[in-house]
Amino acid sequence: MDFKIKKGFDVGLAGKPATSITDLIPSDTVAVYPLEFTGMKQRLLVAEGDIVKHGAALMEDKAHEAFKLRAPAGGQVTTITRGARRFVERIIVKVDVEAKAERFNAYAPDAMQGVDRQAIIDQLITTSYLSLIRQRPFSHMADPAAQPKSIFVNAMSTAPFQADAEVVTASDPVAFQAGLDLMTRLTEGDVHLCIGPNAGDTLKGAQRVSIHSFSGPHPSGNTSVHISRVDPMVPTDVIWTVKAVDLVGMGRLFLDGTLPTSRVVALGGPSVKPGDCGHYRIRTGGDLKPLFDTSLKDGDMRFIGGDVLAGCEIARDSHLGFHQSATTVIPALKERYFMGWTMPGLKKMSFSRLFASTWLPGEHDGSLGTNLHGEERALVLTGHYDKVMPLNIMVDFLIRACLAGDTDEAIALGILETDPEDFALCDVICPSKIEVQEIISGGLRLIEEEGI
Amino acid sequence: MKLILKLHDNIRHLFKDGALFHRVSPIFDAADTFAFTPAEETHRGAHVRDAIDIKRVMVTVIYALLPCFLFGVWNAGYQYNMAHAVPGAGLVDHILRGLIIVMPIVFVSYAVGGFWEVLFACVRKHPINEGLLVSGFLFPLVLPPTIPLWQVAVGITFGIVIGKEIFGGTGMNVVNPALLSRAFIFFAYAKSMTGNVWIASKGDHVVDAVTGATPLGVLSAMPEGATAADAIASGQVSFMQMFLGVMPGSIGETSTLACLIGAVMLLLAGVASWRIILGCVIGLLSTATLANIFGSSPMAQIPPHFHLVAGGFAFGAIFMATDPVSAAATKAGKWIYGFLIGMLVIIVRVLNAGFPEGVMLSILFMNLMAPLIDSFVVDHHIRRRRKRA
Repeated sequence: MDFKIKKGFDVGLAGKPATSITDLIPSDTVAVYPLEFTGMKQRLLVAEGDIVKHGAALMEDKAHEAFKLRAPAGGQVTTITRGARRFVERIIVKVDVEAKAERFNAYAPDAMQGVDRQAIIDQLITTSYLSLIRQRPFSHMADPAAQPKSIFVNAMSTAPFQADAEVVTASDPVAFQAGLDLMTRLTEGDVHLCIGPNAGDTLKGAQRVSIHSFSGPHPSGNTSVHISRVDPMVPTDVIWTVKAVDLVGMGRLFLDGTLPTSRVVALGGPSVKPGDCGHYRIRTGGDLKPLFDTSLKDGDMRFIGGDVLAGCEIARDSHLGFHQSATTVIPALKERYFMGWTMPGLKKMSFSRLFASTWLPGEHDGSLGTNLHGEERALVLTGHYDKVMPLNIMVDFLIRACLAGDTDEAIALGILETDPEDFALCDVICPSKIEVQEIISGGLRLIEEEGI
Repeated sequence: MKLILKLHDNIRHLFKDGALFHRVSPIFDAADTFAFTPAEETHRGAHVRDAIDIKRVMVTVIYALLPCFLFGVWNAGYQYNMAHAVPGAGLVDHILRGLIIVMPIVFVSYAVGGFWEVLFACVRKHPINEGLLVSGFLFPLVLPPTIPLWQVAVGITFGIVIGKEIFGGTGMNVVNPALLSRAFIFFAYAKSMTGNVWIASKGDHVVDAVTGATPLGVLSAMPEGATAADAIASGQVSFMQMFLGVMPGSIGETSTLACLIGAVMLLLAGVASWRIILGCVIGLLSTATLANIFGSSPMAQIPPHFHLVAGGFAFGAIFMATDPVSAAATKAGKWIYGFLIGMLVIIVRVLNAGFPEGVMLSILFMNLMAPLIDSFVVDHHIRRRRKRA
């Protein structure tokens, strides 16, 4: 089926990653960020100085001991950084290429369709790869005890910028198909592969899944939009979602029986030199600094793991996060504009029609920075958010319900069908600079604490 | 420009917490962000943001009000000069006279309204809200030019303090503050605000040919048995006169043409809701048609399209009803809200002998009903969602 999404908005960020893949020299350190795994109760299994195998457990979840964070490469644990309340923030391992690898179950590509569901789940849990599969409602790691109604594989990205699913899956089509086959084993229902207008042969040729094609401005690439059009959910439904780019790693894990050592990630954004915006093959958990050192422009900048809309800020000296398939770098702008309330604004990015840039031909140059362009105010304009919301959601009223802590109303208004990322454009276009994503995720958290 | 920025940066520390002027820091912040957009960066949520902010939204409304304001200035001067038979008065004289009449009203409205806004901002430690820019400008435009300045001060005080600040400021108010100010004057000092809105008359100078009454005043004062057609035929009331607005009335309301220019600006900018405006028009026309068919009083016989240009309807539907804070927030709600305003306007005009004009009261009443309408619409939305489940 073809779905054309009309509502939405493309912010037009400069520095779209090119479809080329550059192999980087594998970095000599790797890191694991335990805080990426929200809700995990940390129990550290190694100490600084320990020698670990590739795939050795570094940490486990006290609440579910089977869930383990593993070393993306073998070597010596050099640094364990702790943050607030002594939570472990980062574990750095110095890579020893000679190190042995922990073995997991491996299957032939043809056998993938016959693997026992429980075996798949167990292997995903013990490697923490289950964390790549998210569930609705609440949009967190899939609950292995649940039986999902269907699984949605997101193979398109309209947020600036995500890794291009076609580029990444084409780099290892066998692993991608293996990953899809594993998904078909996890649900009694369908596996839906949602592709964008630029999907190529790898995505279109995927087997044993139903393929749906979506087009339109962001957020036509968001999984919530796909679910709403293909297989709408009701509050009692559980649906699992996964990114196509993550299936490649998952497939590799089951084909090889070892943790994948590299992955393809995207780098883009206005602060990246135009020639260097593209895809890179990086060591899993590898150091990003060498990449940043060569490919960035000058000036203050912000590093974002993921896209500019829903990604989170990372440090310049970061390693690749477990869930991170793209890095976007934008200028950190504190610039103040003279009489911004009335100047024509020839180059301003705006969804509204209040700037000359809307009325004149030509695009803004896309070098958008971190400027908030205003201060937080009370909600004034109503119905503004609905213009960028293709879901059947009354955003103004959902925000009010969340702010009031009225969980019943929020559920009735459909919050369980959404992910905070669906409200990222509301953040962007809001004249009152309301943090809508934050409000929605607060609402979701409250509902989860109180129970449905 | 750099100089101003530097000056601001140099004195900024005086307004920090604990510093000498920290109590009045909202004043500095307002002046500072008026000159230059704030230096704030995103730190949660989306990392890039739209260039729009509330200041720009509010200022757009001000720009859209300018045609009404400029015409109102000229018209006030013109009416004054006509009423006082000033010999040889031309365009410049009308405008100068108009400025002398109108500017003090605008100034008092902004100064007194601004005082309350700043006071509340300083005491409650919130930024000075830009909503005042619009309220302080809307209010003078719905007043007759003859209004005593002290009444302007009292009115805007009531509107800002009771209508807005006690609820928490712009965005939290239930009714439109400017309209509430006008309603306060209307009921407290009815003599200044009746249908007969002219003019700084000093009895002996008034010229006979110039009527002191607004068209709606004329129509509602028609003797029994006379029809609206008589008034129209006799030239006391003409569509074109009301459309252009060269007649006595509230400063900014008389010219439907000026209001329409403002409407085009607001709709192009996407600031006002076209659903509300269109809803008002449809509500007005359909109810007036019903009145034509079933009513027999002179007011009921006014042709529907006359209602569009009469009184403050255009101004109210375009600038007052569309205030997003006090209007309905849902799409369907906006239609209903607008329609009912238009309907109520006719009901008041036609059925209520006491008030020839009903725009202000209709909008205020629907402001109060807006949350109820939204609640119905949201309930309906939820029921439909459930049905799907």
